[in-house]
Amino acid sequence: MWSYIIRRFLLTIPVIFVVSSVTFLLMHAIPGGPFSEEKALPPEIIKNLEKKYHLDDPLWKQYIDYMWGFMRFDFGPSITYKTRTVNDILAQQWPPTAILGSISFFFAILVGVVLGVISAVHANTLIDYGCMTVAVIGVSMPNIVIGPLLIWIFALNLKWLPVARWGTPAHVVLPALTLSAPYIARFARFTRAAILEVLNEEYVRTARAKGLSERLTIIRHVLRNALIPVITVAGPAFAGIITGSMVVEQIFAIPGIGKYYVTSVNNRDYPVIMTFTLIFAFCIIMMNLLVDILYAIIDPRIRYT
Amino acid sequence: MPRDSIKYRTWKRFSRNRAALLGLLILVSLAILAIGAPWIAPYHYAEGDVRYNFAPPSREHWLGCDYMGRDIFSRLIYGTRVSLTIAFVSAITSFLIGISYGIVSGYFGGTVDNLMMRFVDIAWGFPTLLLIILMMVFFKSSFARVTPGTFAGTLSAIDRALGGMFFICIGIGLTAWLMIARLARGMTLAVRERDFVEASRACGATGIHIIRKHLLPNIIGPCIVQVTLQIPTFILYEAFLSFIGLGVDPPTPSWGMMINEGYIAMRSYIHVFLAPALALSITILAFNFVGDGLRDALDPRWQR
Repeated sequence: MWSYIIRRFLLTIPVIFVVSSVTFLLMHAIPGGPFSEEKALPPEIIKNLEKKYHLDDPLWKQYIDYMWGFMRFDFGPSITYKTRTVNDILAQQWPPTAILGSISFFFAILVGVVLGVISAVHANTLIDYGCMTVAVIGVSMPNIVIGPLLIWIFALNLKWLPVARWGTPAHVVLPALTLSAPYIARFARFTRAAILEVLNEEYVRTARAKGLSERLTIIRHVLRNALIPVITVAGPAFAGIITGSMVVEQIFAIPGIGKYYVTSVNNRDYPVIMTFTLIFAFCIIMMNLLVDILYAIIDPRIRYT
Repeated sequence: MPRDSIKYRTWKRFSRNRAALLGLLILVSLAILAIGAPWIAPYHYAEGDVRYNFAPPSREHWLGCDYMGRDIFSRLIYGTRVSLTIAFVSAITSFLIGISYGIVSGYFGGTVDNLMMRFVDIAWGFPTLLLIILMMVFFKSSFARVTPGTFAGTLSAIDRALGGMFFICIGIGLTAWLMIARLARGMTLAVRERDFVEASRACGATGIHIIRKHLLPNIIGPCIVQVTLQIPTFILYEAFLSFIGLGVDPPTPSWGMMINEGYIAMRSYIHVFLAPALALSITILAFNFVGDGLRDALDPRWQR
């Protein structure tokens, strides 16, 4: 088990290497540089600016310098905002994204699994059809539809919650709902299918036969086994939520790294683009690793060697 | 179609699923709208009239007008072209790349398989949306000033002719094939060991023959299901890219762009937002229905 974890951990190194070099090459391949937008800068000044940010070094040296800094958590200066480093920007923009992402992720799992259990227990009744209809609609309504719709209903008309921006707990509600809605639906459908499959197993019949109450059967025997396939969806769902936060941050004008990312690509703010991409990639990799480990812990039949 | 063929039985199971049939019906209607857009739409998508800015629905403009006085109903109809093109071209691109990659990896096995699959594992960690954004900015600014006649010039001309859709499809196709590749490789590994493949090889069949006659027919079904289930994501990528201004070029009407325009004017003119939002949701719903229906029809064990 430990050797498996260590091996998986080591595998993240080439992943980070490939992600960083692809991003680096692609972003330098984009025509124009950080200074090409500014008007009437004399060539000497541009030259000096490029020297200051080491943009006149050969590409491989810039890459190595950046990665060397990255490993020491020194992400370099922002080229667009001359007085701020990427670390400053990160310290400011990371918390909203992290808070929004984690709340949405756990909310999606919790509500999704509960809905799935309710549906499965009442399979083929009105409750089940109701839940699953809502789930299908949830899967089909994209963020850019749900978000504005929620704003229109709860912020503009009912005036219960703020329209956009960030700061108080009330600001979290609508974006978190928007972000988690499709994944609630996905978890609900998956949980329902998994439970229905487990309900036919012999050990469930045994549990019932020995007189265990329905509630205990579900909690102790069914849910535990049904959750195994559900965990596999958690990895992709996390990746989806964390990149989906880019969309939601745009809609709700949340000052997170997703909203900032598009701006920095347009500004060719190279260190910011690199850092944000790598952090997103790192989160996704770590989550997939965590899911695989959880999988092994919950299901004793799986043994990694 | 012979009654006992797999195709016939699959169709039987598919057509018993009412949601899937409804989805198929919606998709066929959308395709008709997309092809017949110039004859069906009452106005041209770029034709605006300042007197009708944000006009509410009326007899002349069934769904009202947008901020430039353009007929929303007509723009919706032309918008089906964007969403459906993205859906099918991205699906075909990622399907072709994924299935060839997967088959080659699975068929040759050993070191080749190991290397090819490690590459997929690595690419798996890439945040797709970020990569697509980078690629879009790259395409948009690299091909902005190219000389006609060269390869780049031709690509740029194709993109302009398609209203900016071409590069979106490439961007999505280049990132979305991983799942198909994994599936195709796994199934190839399973089918490769079956007796009929062994028999075929014993008769002296070449690799190409085995891949074409034995592997492909056996793995193509699940791969089609997988790509159908992914299509909603492709449509969403386009809608999001257009939403943030990296998608199709105006005035090409994309539902994502229309949602963005409607979202900005939402406080006073909700109809501008609702129409494209509903169209996008219904289309995705239809693709989900068809994808689920196909999956259930091909794999009865998954039946609800």
